[in-house]
Amino acid sequence: MSKATLRQATREALANTSVRSALTRFADSYVISREQVYQHKNFEELRREVARIKQETVEHLEELAAQFAREATRRGATVFRAATAAEAREYIARLARAKGIKTIVKSKSMASEEIHLNDYLKEKDLDVVETDLGEWIIQLARQRPSHMVMPAIHMSRNEVAEVFRREIKQAVEPEISSMVQLARRELRRKFLSSWMGISGANIAVAETGTIVMVTNEGNGRLTTTLPPVHVIIVGLEKLVPRFKDIVPILEVLPRSATGQHITSYVTMITGAVPAIDPEGKYHEQKELHIILMDNGRTRMAADPVFKEAMQCVRCAACLNVCPVYQQLGGVYGDVYTGVIGTLLTAFFTNPQKAQVLQNLCIDCGRCRDYCSGNINLPALIGELRRRTVESKGAGYAEKIIFDKILPRRRLFHRFLKTASRLQKPFVRAGKIRHLPLFLSGLTSGRTLPALADVPFRDLIATPPRPKKKNGRVALFSGCLIDFVYPGIGKAVAGVLAAMGFELVHPEDQTCCGFPAKQVGLMDNFAELARQNIAAFMDIDAEHILTACPTCAEALKFLYPEILAGDREWSQRAREMAQKVVDFSSFVYAKKKELIPQLAPFRHKVTYHDSCHLKRYLRVTMEPRQLLKDAGADLVEMSRPDVCCGFGGSFTLKFPELSNSILDRKLESLLETGAEILALDCPGCRLQIEGGLDCRNLPVKVMHTAEVLARCLASDGRVQ
Amino acid sequence: MNKALLPDVGRDLEQLYETFVVRARALGTEVYRVRGMSEARDLIGRLIKEMGAQKVALSESPLLSAADLGRAVAGCGAEVIKGNPREVAETADVGISSFEMAVAETGTLVQDATDINRRLVSMLPPVHLALVPTGCLVATLKEAINNLAARGQVPGYVAFVSGPSRTADIERVLTIGVHGPGRLAVIFIDEGGDIVV
Repeated sequence: MSKATLRQATREALANTSVRSALTRFADSYVISREQVYQHKNFEELRREVARIKQETVEHLEELAAQFAREATRRGATVFRAATAAEAREYIARLARAKGIKTIVKSKSMASEEIHLNDYLKEKDLDVVETDLGEWIIQLARQRPSHMVMPAIHMSRNEVAEVFRREIKQAVEPEISSMVQLARRELRRKFLSSWMGISGANIAVAETGTIVMVTNEGNGRLTTTLPPVHVIIVGLEKLVPRFKDIVPILEVLPRSATGQHITSYVTMITGAVPAIDPEGKYHEQKELHIILMDNGRTRMAADPVFKEAMQCVRCAACLNVCPVYQQLGGVYGDVYTGVIGTLLTAFFTNPQKAQVLQNLCIDCGRCRDYCSGNINLPALIGELRRRTVESKGAGYAEKIIFDKILPRRRLFHRFLKTASRLQKPFVRAGKIRHLPLFLSGLTSGRTLPALADVPFRDLIATPPRPKKKNGRVALFSGCLIDFVYPGIGKAVAGVLAAMGFELVHPEDQTCCGFPAKQVGLMDNFAELARQNIAAFMDIDAEHILTACPTCAEALKFLYPEILAGDREWSQRAREMAQKVVDFSSFVYAKKKELIPQLAPFRHKVTYHDSCHLKRYLRVTMEPRQLLKDAGADLVEMSRPDVCCGFGGSFTLKFPELSNSILDRKLESLLETGAEILALDCPGCRLQIEGGLDCRNLPVKVMHTAEVLARCLASDGRVQ
Repeated sequence: MNKALLPDVGRDLEQLYETFVVRARALGTEVYRVRGMSEARDLIGRLIKEMGAQKVALSESPLLSAADLGRAVAGCGAEVIKGNPREVAETADVGISSFEMAVAETGTLVQDATDINRRLVSMLPPVHLALVPTGCLVATLKEAINNLAARGQVPGYVAFVSGPSRTADIERVLTIGVHGPGRLAVIFIDEGGDIVV
């Protein structure tokens, strides 16, 4: 798969509005029901516990696999260690052939999807029937699951009725309960006549040889009870050391997967149990085969970074809260979908495809907050990106920008100033509505702000003088404020002056480097980090302020990380990081002097949480409180913390997708009836303001600093 | 409903029972409670009569034997069917089995379902009546799992059942009774705790 194919696939997915509306509807209700079922439970504690258990598994993977095999064998199971997908498939086909088995019933198993078991068994003339309702529908429709937990979430009842009519030759109204009853009748016949059942597993307990299955429909119970031969396919990552380790996983899995306290059925199978075959013969012990499958898992567990992905319990919460997945469904992935799917694809099914899929992560960080296994998913995607660039190299344009231009500040800034002149033919009233040729995607569904005539670095040459002297603050403006929104910088300077702080703006500061990091060019990122640290090193200021959360994240968290091994620079990076603070947190902490000076801001305002402010800097309350202190009538929008779709280079790579995510944001924004959208990020502003402008919507977008500056400068009225 | 029972653990048990009722009903489970075996017989007879069931599949357990359900079934004009357990369970209108634990926090019933007949009876018929001694209520899943672990050897097949069989696979609309029982009723028996199940 190439980037171009992926982009084409995303366009096609976006054209399918029914998938999108099903996924977004689900995403909205999911967050609410999930929250309800976690009441009286400490999610953070539970997921740390899950992570601890899984880390122990990763450290002792081979020992635990051997222990599991021993215990399950002792209880009458036959355990087969499959190193690859092919070994697992062949084992099952061989077993069926040896027993003379023709029909097989199957309950849901992602591991079986992973090894494309159904296609293989069909080639071997075996009749395999999926019995999970969603999987059965998908099988009849000859599609592949679009979601790990709800495989047919992309299909409507009418489509399902059509599939039933066509494939099982039964006329059925598109009425859900009658279709479910039809499925019950059809599949019950299959259950009663099959000699082999194949199931997956959610947990495998090494201590006791127990397999745990978490299900709702009851097909898993029938699959593991009616046929006299039962095959369980379980990936090594499902191992846990002890029986009691089931508890925390069972507490998070249904809650995070479907917003249930518990599923209808939890089944624990330890060894071979009695069975009665379709001919009525009683077997004291059925035949139980457990395929303990590796297929890339040992390699994942041995990887110093990606071993963290082994903590996944397959709840799919990361899909449910992903703004990109909501737009694309199954297109975002391979067998496994979404962000975790990309990581699993890299190790289990299709490494080349994973290298392309990683581009779809917008790095909003929302999945990290919901992950039941406490996995830092965006960081793992970042690592996949880094390794992709390392092996394949960066694109031509990226190389020019990040190798030749960005590291040379003077050249970069001259380049921007030239661009500011060259853009003139496209600028109307400070906005760019259409760009020619390959740049046209940038202005689809969004106008772009023009580069400012005079950048902030020139405006601030003579900063406003504070009346009092409460201290000295250095400002890291960042490219967007410096060259696109100098007005935000001016507002910051005004507010600080009113608070009695003197402002310095070191001239040698340059791009924070986040864009380089975002495309996986870590050396370029480190170079820019060093340049910026040098620019601020000798400045006498107690704080380094930023009004861009992405820059703040880079300076505060990413510089110490990237320079950790650098003898000369790591200490300097840490010293700088300690001084870095975002605008709203700084002002909030010292607001006493500011508030009485503010004329009331008599507007209805709603606030958008920028991803990097909320999820990396953990700031949500401060800007809201400042807006209220300024007198704003603050109304919350639905999903204030869902990404606006900007994502820096994401919007360049997938303009249509970025625009579609923006549509959702604008929808929530407009529902509030607010006149002003306040936010703390110039990137989000570029995206949302451009979208509003393009759609001729009269909502004004302001940085919190601009709201406060307005209240200082006038009567707090916005025209 | 009788609330004054089991004097030593009475209060805690009442709380557990109340939590169970709220949770289980939210999942669509019907919850009943009786004092002893004769009340259980009466209730089961009434339920079978109300649903118009003709064929009843019974699994074997000391609790069910003690309740002497054959009498209750015959008394309401239905019959306990016998024969190949697969066919019995498949043709029955209602299955009756006993459970060893009930988990309050999730409205869950726990059964050692190693015995094939017990498994079939609780899985195949469209309606399931579950009997459980009130004294076997535990507070949390954790407690239930620890109890299983403490047995020395984990049973071959343990079933945790929380409500009727359900699916939301078509348009995420919750639909009951897809592969397992579409109706689940649990009957707590206060004076059954001393019978080993």
